[in-house]
Amino acid sequence: MFRQTPARSLVLIVTLAGLAAYASAGGFFAREIVIEIAILAILAISLDVVAGFGGMVSLAHGAMMGLSAYTYAIFSVKLGWPPLPSALLGVAASGIFGTLIGWITGRTTGIFFIMATLAFGQMAYTVFFKWRWLGGDDGLGGLSRFDLGGLGIKMGNSLTFALFALVLVLAVYVAAAWVLRTAFGRTLTGIHVNEDRMRALGVNTVMHRAQALGFSALLAGVAGVLAAQHVQYISPELLVWTVSGEVLIVVILGGLGTLIGPLLGAVIFVLLKHEISGYTNHWHIVIGLLLIATVLAGGRGIYGQVEHWFSRRPPPPAGTAEAHDA
Amino acid sequence: MLEVRKLCKAFGGLKVTRGVTFALEPGERRVILGPNGAGKTTLFNQLVGTLTPSSGDILVEGRSVMGLSVAARARAGLSRSYQKNNLFEDLSVRENLMLAAAAGQGKAHSVWRDSFRDAAVRETVAEVAQQVALTEMLDMPVRSASYGSRRQLEVGLALATRPRILLMDEPTSGVGPTMIEGFHRLLHSLPRELTVLIIEHDMDLAFDVADRITVLNFGEVVFEGTPDETRGNKVVRDIYLGDWQADA
Repeated sequence: MFRQTPARSLVLIVTLAGLAAYASAGGFFAREIVIEIAILAILAISLDVVAGFGGMVSLAHGAMMGLSAYTYAIFSVKLGWPPLPSALLGVAASGIFGTLIGWITGRTTGIFFIMATLAFGQMAYTVFFKWRWLGGDDGLGGLSRFDLGGLGIKMGNSLTFALFALVLVLAVYVAAAWVLRTAFGRTLTGIHVNEDRMRALGVNTVMHRAQALGFSALLAGVAGVLAAQHVQYISPELLVWTVSGEVLIVVILGGLGTLIGPLLGAVIFVLLKHEISGYTNHWHIVIGLLLIATVLAGGRGIYGQVEHWFSRRPPPPAGTAEAHDA
Repeated sequence: MLEVRKLCKAFGGLKVTRGVTFALEPGERRVILGPNGAGKTTLFNQLVGTLTPSSGDILVEGRSVMGLSVAARARAGLSRSYQKNNLFEDLSVRENLMLAAAAGQGKAHSVWRDSFRDAAVRETVAEVAQQVALTEMLDMPVRSASYGSRRQLEVGLALATRPRILLMDEPTSGVGPTMIEGFHRLLHSLPRELTVLIIEHDMDLAFDVADRITVLNFGEVVFEGTPDETRGNKVVRDIYLGDWQADA
């Protein structure tokens, strides 16, 4: 069962504040990094909802993000709609895509589920890769950002946009944490732990899993709109399955089923990538070694491992428990 | 309340359920006896929908449930406990019961409310925990609970959905005499309007709680009657008690 512990809240606030400070103090490049982290973090949180709490390891999250980005582009660029409704439609399209995948793959689990999501993701990728009206493999440019000029906010400013991205990370985290603490999230965890029994208790587990994947896809859709508005250009590369694979690595690195771990994972992943690529092109090796170490240490991920260390302290003698628990 | 008509199930040439017919009155306590391999659990699996019969019909309150999924049958009021514990191992006893109670009350899907904070769900959990003597162990992780406690939780999960028909598959399998005694008390404490169908090996329990007893052998109903009639019946003696004595 998901618990939003005080430690997790603290890590969330400190991480986001740290990134905001980094974006403010650093130059354009720092802000680019923060936005990259934000997009990856949203995707990772989204994936953790289904993978960590529902046992559904999806390789379609890149495609969900890309579908949202393309839908945003179709409405805002091709049809000339304003950015906000276009963005909402993008998020909705991703949610519908996720629900459909979940519904169709409802009876598959484990490796078969992973393969099915991979297939759906690659199908979506192929569609946009071939679709000349949307630029095909050349991609599509000319996307605009939200116009918040009325509020005195200039989204064209790199710092403003970086801070906006961090606000979205916070919103996505809060939404995910909220849902995981409702009846819906409880049941999702129940299905993850013992689907057979959950069914015997009267829960339509196929529908529930589909809805969970749909919710997760909505969050991934937010990352899609953010990515589209960030570079104001989109290409089928957003949807390719290695994007989903990278997100999965981030989730496992940070801590599957901790929700805050994936955020930390995204920070570590992006920072390491930029630091190491200053020395060598083979930054994947370092990430790979880190991933292997994480998995061999018990697979709890970086945040999960730290949490495990703290929870393993010998219990205080009886009668003093309350004093120590604080 | 629960009616089974000419139910048949064959795996290839192996006929495991052969024309089973019986009917339970509302509030009836029925025990199904039968030696190992008589097809008792197979019959159960067909009742709850995990196994599709080759032919025949199953009716709950006069309506056929043959087209309904496992979950839909559960929502129709059919709840089961398993012969082998089938619990939410990673969760606490309380969380197990909460999931069951929430599902039973149709509160398993809201994205606004937390079923674990729901007053009615909590009340049911407290009541069921009392019934199955787990009140002291509510916060214990299931995986560190004793076999006996897990057995009690197994029945607790089935009860927490507040079913109208309770199916219990060998609820006392593998537990000691003290717990069997506790289980007798539990069965007598259940609301009288609850219809209960129990698969049991334990003759004492069968004679103690059953209104009627159905004896199954090689997938066939070979006897049905009151506990007194069962005790005196020659066929039952030969098949069931004979086998039972040979086992001992």
